[in-house]
Amino acid sequence: MNQKLISEFEELLGKSRVLSEKEELLCYSYDAASKDFMPDVVVFPLNAGEISKIVKLCLKHDTPVVGRGSGSGFSGGSLPLKGGVVVSFTKMNHILEIDEENMFVTVEPGVINADLKSYLADKGYFYPPDPASYEFSTIGGNVAECSGGPSAVKYGVTKEYVAALEVITGDGEIINTGSKTVKDVSGYNLTQLMVGSEGTLGLFSKITLKFLSKPEANSLILVSFDDKDKGFKAAISLLKLRNKPSMLEFMDKSSIESVKSYFKSDIIKIEGAFLFIVEADGSQVEVDKSNAEYKKILKEFSPVFLFSSGNEEEKRVIMEARKAISPSLRKYGDLKINNDIAVPINKIIETLSFIEGVSKTYNIPIINFGHFGDGNIHVNIMLNKDDIDMVERGEKAKFEILRKTVELGGSLSGEHGIGLEKKEFMKLKYNDYYMNILKNIKKVFDPQNIINPGKIF
Amino acid sequence: MQENDFLNANINSYLNCVHCGKCLPVCPTYNISLNEFYSPRGRVRLILTDNADTMPLGVSKVAEAMSTCLLCGRCVNICPNDVKIGDLIINEKIKLNKLNKLKNGTLFSLDKLALRTLKNKRKILLKSALKFANIPIIEFLSKRYAPKPEGKSFITDRDYKFKPEGKRVNKNNLKVGYFSGCVFNSIYPQISEDTVSALIKNGVSVYVPANQECCGLPFISSGDISSFKDLALNNVNAFKDKDTDYIITSCASCSYSINKLYPLYFNKNDGGYNDVLNFSKKLINIWSFFKIAEKMGMDIKIGELKNEVEAVFHIPCHLSNLSGFKPSSYNEGLIGEAGLIADKINGLKLKPLKHNYCCGNGGMFNIRHYDFSKGITRRKFEEIKEASPQSILTSCSGCMFSLSDQRGILKEKDTLPVNHLISIYAQSLKE
Repeated sequence: MNQKLISEFEELLGKSRVLSEKEELLCYSYDAASKDFMPDVVVFPLNAGEISKIVKLCLKHDTPVVGRGSGSGFSGGSLPLKGGVVVSFTKMNHILEIDEENMFVTVEPGVINADLKSYLADKGYFYPPDPASYEFSTIGGNVAECSGGPSAVKYGVTKEYVAALEVITGDGEIINTGSKTVKDVSGYNLTQLMVGSEGTLGLFSKITLKFLSKPEANSLILVSFDDKDKGFKAAISLLKLRNKPSMLEFMDKSSIESVKSYFKSDIIKIEGAFLFIVEADGSQVEVDKSNAEYKKILKEFSPVFLFSSGNEEEKRVIMEARKAISPSLRKYGDLKINNDIAVPINKIIETLSFIEGVSKTYNIPIINFGHFGDGNIHVNIMLNKDDIDMVERGEKAKFEILRKTVELGGSLSGEHGIGLEKKEFMKLKYNDYYMNILKNIKKVFDPQNIINPGKIF
Repeated sequence: MQENDFLNANINSYLNCVHCGKCLPVCPTYNISLNEFYSPRGRVRLILTDNADTMPLGVSKVAEAMSTCLLCGRCVNICPNDVKIGDLIINEKIKLNKLNKLKNGTLFSLDKLALRTLKNKRKILLKSALKFANIPIIEFLSKRYAPKPEGKSFITDRDYKFKPEGKRVNKNNLKVGYFSGCVFNSIYPQISEDTVSALIKNGVSVYVPANQECCGLPFISSGDISSFKDLALNNVNAFKDKDTDYIITSCASCSYSINKLYPLYFNKNDGGYNDVLNFSKKLINIWSFFKIAEKMGMDIKIGELKNEVEAVFHIPCHLSNLSGFKPSSYNEGLIGEAGLIADKINGLKLKPLKHNYCCGNGGMFNIRHYDFSKGITRRKFEEIKEASPQSILTSCSGCMFSLSDQRGILKEKDTLPVNHLISIYAQSLKE
């Protein structure tokens, strides 16, 4: 990297907000995906004006610029694929305004999801999007990747909550999209175009989010089945209810095994091959009613295990276990190909049976868990890094699973984004004409292709 | 680095890191700097790269990342892949220390004097150094606080035996040894007096050997394994073959050092290996002791405070008694095992702290990175302020330093008293 650019950054931000020593840069060369790329410099802006100046300097020096929150993404969205500048948003971590009358909150992108949740909860409000990483991932990253989590089945994903954005484009210009209104059809919906754009169209500096009133109570049911078909039929019947679950998660046998210790056998002794976590929320009366109704329905499908959590500690244990699955899979292999496909709910059984076949054909462990309620399955192909043949088989398995997903009318990525990890599979779903539309959209916002280049396509 | 078998197991735990980022928000230094160079995940990556030798790294820069770790253990507690971050960091420090000794002396020794005073047998140097640092002009010039030693050291030149008081004496009385640690011996000797007083009033006999020393934590956390092992062996021998059911400490950091680190740094070929293990197993912190004693049927005395006090209890990071602990009272729910003793003090009302943040001390971290440390302490006081207590309680020497040092950090006119919970309990038994 050009030493001159580093000096210009130091002049703009002060030395303490510019990292350029290689030991420091090393700590920004990875995220939760499996690849590494060294940045040339890391900068910490504090406001839109500084970000605009950073982008303009990068334009002048024709240097890539990549946004980063907590670096917890699974698709490599925050990795500096072509080196250049990493813009860390961690120091832009303020909640700027809460508008309680209209029920919108405006935050800087570096606010941690859990901090926003807890800030709102103290006031009796509720921000639903809950990626498994919500305790450490940032709102900026959540918006860029359109994160979702277990609550999506009832409350939807991040896109449902983003009302307005302040964005710095690839020209270094500051634009404001959207408004604090439910209805807004003035021109193209650039807010929603930005959500899930994986940091390729611009850098966010302000995010206005809708929030809800906090449900008074919730309850959790753990239920498991030996027979996959029965289990899935039971789950589908819950989704048809008017008072459908606020969470409907499933785990296969291997994922149950990987987090068994979290359940602490003295509290919950897990049995069965397919496990569901079912949550009801609402007023205490509604929760009690839903809970009873869910149990009645589930029992008709002869579960091998049904546990209804009575207290906060049990609920905490269950949710800790659920969140721990992904990182705990390491015991099945040191290289994880993590796919987060989404399929229509009625295709879940077919998808899982297909995956089981692929696992046998290629002789590799594939572990599945995820959000049954919205058809989003985390398909984890577990490999040994040093076994070249196995890694090759893993790649083939991934290809077959993604092809089948598209064939069944599903999506290549439900939550994590395409990033680096899945870009070569975009052609499974989209033809050249379609891909050109995407590329042309990027050109409008980023004519010099400096904003997170090399991602998605 | 083949100090021990443990290292082979633990050192490889860095390979388990999937860099998910879960450790970022729990790390005190990341939280203040918001810079991943000061994060557990960053430190693990530096260690991994240094060991794999895939990229030449600057020794002083790696050393900076390691020496800014407080060894609070918060990242280890939440890591889903069981990466032993603290042990890895200690190990990296030992390695850097050795490397550097070959070139230009000990690396982690800006504070050689501090360490030397702690190793001195009778702690005369420690006291004189602190008295010197308390001369107003020196305090002003060094721009930092030094705790004032209160009165005479607790440990004298001979062994002491304290007999149980009152009617509570019987054949089944528990017998314990007391390990004071250097701070509760030289700087806050009253806490040692109070611990012994609370024990004997509950019918426990207490043996205090004169030949005990610093637990060694400041040394191992500086990468000085040989001083650490010398001190450890000395402590082990001081209590060896004495008729005690348990050995008790009132300092959370001493219990961390003795329970967690002693067994790691001795291996089977070391002389005294079994003695070290036995000592480590026998030593428990004062709160665990009362919890066990209660289960064994001890009727723990209830004390009474003259004036009601609303207090917060700062849970020391090294008092990790909350995971897996099933609280049986409101106070235990708030602060873990120590809640049992809080329950026994009429007139003490504990208020919750929202986050239970780290106090920022981290032992030598506070000495080496004073401003960094202060930043973390400030956050602690913001949380304390929210609870608006009349008094701050804790049970660790390091925490007492930083909380006492920085109690005016938010420019409060009235600075809150900082006490050890055992002192409040001992006081309540007298009143």
